[in-house]
Amino acid sequence: MRARRFVLPILFVASFLGLWELAAHLGWINASLFAPPSSIARDLVRLHTRKLPERSLLLTHIGASLQRVFLAASLGTVAGVMMGILMGASRLVYRFFDPIITLLMPIPGIAQAPLFIIWLGFGDPTIVTVGAIAAFFPIAFNTAAGVRSADPQIVRAAHIMGVSRAGSLVRVYLPAAGGHIMAGVKLGWARCWRTVIAVEFVAAASWGLGYMIWDASEYIRSGIVYGGILMMMLIYFVLERVLFDGIERLTVRRWGMIRS
Amino acid sequence: MKMNDQVIRIEGVSKTFGKGDREVVALNEVDLAFRDGEFAVLIGPSGCGKSTLLYLMAGFESPTTGQILLDGNEIRRPGPDRGFVFQDYALFPWKTVLGNVMFGLRRTGASHADAKRIAMDHIRMVHLQGFEHAYPHTLSGGMKQRVGIARALAYDPKVLLMDEPFGALDAQTRKLMQQEMVSIWEAARKTVVFVTHSVIEAVYLADRIVVMTARPGSVKGIVDVDVPRPRKYTEEHYLHIREAVLSLLEEEVAKSAEVQA
Amino acid sequence: MNGQTQAPSTKHAPWKDRLIHAGQFVLPFLVIAAVWELIVRVGWVSATALPPPSAILQRAWELCTGEGLLWHHLGQSMVRLSIGYALAMGAGLVFGTILAMNRVLREMFSPVLSLLISVPTIAWVPVFLITLGLGDRTVIAAVFLGGFFAIAYNTIRGIEMVDVNRIRAAQTMGARGIRLFSAVLLPGSSVSVLTGLRLGIGYSWRALVGGEMLSAMVRWGIGKMIYQARFWNDVTVMFVGLMVIGLTGFLLDRLLIRWLERATIERWGMVTER
Repeated sequence: MRARRFVLPILFVASFLGLWELAAHLGWINASLFAPPSSIARDLVRLHTRKLPERSLLLTHIGASLQRVFLAASLGTVAGVMMGILMGASRLVYRFFDPIITLLMPIPGIAQAPLFIIWLGFGDPTIVTVGAIAAFFPIAFNTAAGVRSADPQIVRAAHIMGVSRAGSLVRVYLPAAGGHIMAGVKLGWARCWRTVIAVEFVAAASWGLGYMIWDASEYIRSGIVYGGILMMMLIYFVLERVLFDGIERLTVRRWGMIRS
Repeated sequence: MKMNDQVIRIEGVSKTFGKGDREVVALNEVDLAFRDGEFAVLIGPSGCGKSTLLYLMAGFESPTTGQILLDGNEIRRPGPDRGFVFQDYALFPWKTVLGNVMFGLRRTGASHADAKRIAMDHIRMVHLQGFEHAYPHTLSGGMKQRVGIARALAYDPKVLLMDEPFGALDAQTRKLMQQEMVSIWEAARKTVVFVTHSVIEAVYLADRIVVMTARPGSVKGIVDVDVPRPRKYTEEHYLHIREAVLSLLEEEVAKSAEVQA
Repeated sequence: MNGQTQAPSTKHAPWKDRLIHAGQFVLPFLVIAAVWELIVRVGWVSATALPPPSAILQRAWELCTGEGLLWHHLGQSMVRLSIGYALAMGAGLVFGTILAMNRVLREMFSPVLSLLISVPTIAWVPVFLITLGLGDRTVIAAVFLGGFFAIAYNTIRGIEMVDVNRIRAAQTMGARGIRLFSAVLLPGSSVSVLTGLRLGIGYSWRALVGGEMLSAMVRWGIGKMIYQARFWNDVTVMFVGLMVIGLTGFLLDRLLIRWLERATIERWGMVTER
């Protein structure tokens, strides 16, 4: 049974949490700095049940972050795919932008934030912009790789069947590059998620999971800090498994481009 | 064969892999003995377990039943009393030829100076002098295998185990290596247990050929080869022996995949 | 006797190739810089909002000379990076090795590790701020975390993928335990380990910048330099900082790790091993 694999790690995590709880109660560790699991749970529940006016505060924060991520990642995906197609189709374009992407991509979003704060102010505009940039780079890069790797036979066959140059870009290169694009999209959305949270640390006005964590750390509400990180893990896990694998299954795997 | 002549004794050895309905019996009740200083060849159809038997002798695996004795001591794990030559050379790419050949010597306690000297002797023995400072990835297949042989012999093991060592080489190189092997062996005079697919190779090299059955493997028959060396591939006596081996093999091959003749 | 196979000699002198290569790399930036300079000079964009490259370079120059503020910032960042990354290398290699060799521990830790990796290093900074304070220690902890996971993960993969016959060969020659590790497992896993080191330094560098920005009591550092510039609305300094971050990250990867690669896996011809 596959579940067998999880026995050991679950035991490990359970004993770790148990020990933590014990240590906090016995005073071995400072419970205000290292809020034990019970405190974390309690703080999270409180955040959830505190109505504001009707919705849970916790979900509002999470919702704000997710909204930003979806918006930013979508923008980044559209721009990235377009750029990637251009780069993939033209050697010149590729060789022009490749060094630029190579140098700019590693610059962390949080370092870009102060600049955008000056230009766009605090809150959504900055957060979404930096998030979109974070998603843009890997998506453009991978799309370009995918387009360049398109099987020339397929392209030739399409031309013979009368598909125009521009038409071939969309009808032939795009599907052929599907696997790469999917990989890029996964990378891009993951990056966007991480960047949004990080930028929220410095640029969020009042909402967002990142804001929640940051605010809590300024008041040394460690329970919420740990709880926030827990939420991050959960959301990432759900997003990756449910959303991405789902999309992948519906599109690329169905087209037989990736072996499942 | 006199008892005290026997370097390796394989007694009632069986080897099973896997569990339940995925169980594979690789070897079944194998009894064999190898004499000191002889060149023995194991041959058999694919999957007959000849490599498995070699691995058991090397100590990479343990027999499920039975035991293997080297000079009366049971073999439990790999050690410097048995040298091993792999089909894919298994050289250390991060060491030079000299470094590779010296490895076993250093492990068995030789000083750096001694190890270097002995290693150079062996490098000369396999005619690779001049290449001692080269890295393996710059060498051809045949050269790599010669390093493998030198490396396995350098620390003077009692037995040399060779697992289809020339299998990855092209036909020309393979022939050359077979000839080299004979001269190396005559210089080193080790007990050699050599696994191969090729009957020609077996008859060219061996004092005795052990023919194995298809899986589960056991000993089908043993053919003595008392033709003086160096042998010619086309000699009459040679062809005789080839026939003897082939006839033993044919039945087994029918039960299994391919064998070169 | 078989001839020795060797790589064919290149026709051009290697330094010429590298020069051409470098030129091709720099050209796009020059073009962009030229266009940028133009649109600011012409007035399409205000120079206070988007300083032209000339202003940025001038500012960079000012920061390099005189009091050498830039070096001060960069130096501090480098110190923190070195400490944190060195710790990450040590811990990552050790932890990765232990996990690679011990099945029980590996099964126990693997899912937990994957879950932890999904949290960006920067998200842990608030935890560090609470528990380690607002100064250097937090930044170094962030650098450590960034590099640790990548190095540990790739070390595990690398050791798992060491050619089993090489291990057997070494065992046959009497190598065991620590000897086996240092003589075979470590060099044998170099390709993956170097990948881990390369990824690790990237993550560490980014974690450094973020950590500096978030640590209130940190005064010097590239990240801090950018962060502080906001209070003076000094976009020019921000651009200088961003440039330095990009360049340094690039150099760390291309120079440091490449150099290591050249000394090891390239010399040994192991580059294509996976």
